[in-house]
Amino acid sequence: MDIVLRAAFAFGFVFFLTRIVGRRELSSLEPFDLIMLIVLGDLVQQGVTQSDYSVTGLVLAAGTIALLQVAVSYVNYRFRRVRQVLAGEPIVLIDDGRVLEQHLSRERLTREELEEQARLSQLDSLDKVRWAVLETSGQISFIPKQ
Amino acid sequence: MADQPDGIVLPRHRDLQGRAWHPWVRRCLLGVVVLIAVLALVGVFGQRPSTTRASAAPATLSVSAPDAVRGGLLYQARFTIDADEALSDATLVLSSSWLDGMTVNTIEPGPVNEASRNGSLVLSLGHLPAGASYVLFVQFQVNPTTVGRRTLRTELQDGDQPILTITRHLRVFP
Repeated sequence: MDIVLRAAFAFGFVFFLTRIVGRRELSSLEPFDLIMLIVLGDLVQQGVTQSDYSVTGLVLAAGTIALLQVAVSYVNYRFRRVRQVLAGEPIVLIDDGRVLEQHLSRERLTREELEEQARLSQLDSLDKVRWAVLETSGQISFIPKQ
Repeated sequence: MADQPDGIVLPRHRDLQGRAWHPWVRRCLLGVVVLIAVLALVGVFGQRPSTTRASAAPATLSVSAPDAVRGGLLYQARFTIDADEALSDATLVLSSSWLDGMTVNTIEPGPVNEASRNGSLVLSLGHLPAGASYVLFVQFQVNPTTVGRRTLRTELQDGDQPILTITRHLRVFP
């Protein structure tokens, strides 16, 4: 039973962390972020299974996490208001070529980062962007002007 | 063509109506994480040792051990007996809470005799001459499933004659 509770707590805590660190941090996967991801996974594993090396322990922990993932996914699908809390909401960053600086600041985004993302979307100037939206996944979608 | 992309509600997603307070929720929750880290730095979650000392006519006993530990953690308890008068059979009696849910990796130096008395662990350390100091190290590891708060009693005896008792508390975090 203990390992199920640990796995549930770890799931909840990691979910909580991902919601509060901000979307931009989650969407970027620089070499440092990749290493931190591995380190975080190792830390979580230690807290969940500790010195349990059994296959039963693996089944309990992985099964619990999978079930919770399905539960969160279902709640996201079923309840719109809960989805806003669990997944967040998109935020418009550029409206008809006008960069909404206040929104960048709110998401700890610099104009340079926005320009970089635009270049990655084959856009050489923010003036050519009709809409830019920071999605709940942390990625920025660009819709060019016609 | 619609003014905005499908799924984007301008009052909500551009003008942030009803969302102005959202960053503050995030900051407060981040504050909770910071608070946890600060509490850890000041030793709330273990395993910084503290020393408790008690004196009676023939001897002084000091117990140095953490007040808080976490599951799986290795830690040490140090028992120091300073004999003002000779003790013919210095004996430490550790309540069962010292051992319940813990793994004892080693006790050094090994006691002359070990026994159980009403669930407590009785460690006979032998003769201690006046002025002698005896240090006993016990190395523990917390079993991963052990949690909660417990009271640890340590009694120093000369044979069966109680001399003094030290009571401490240990909090085990999961």
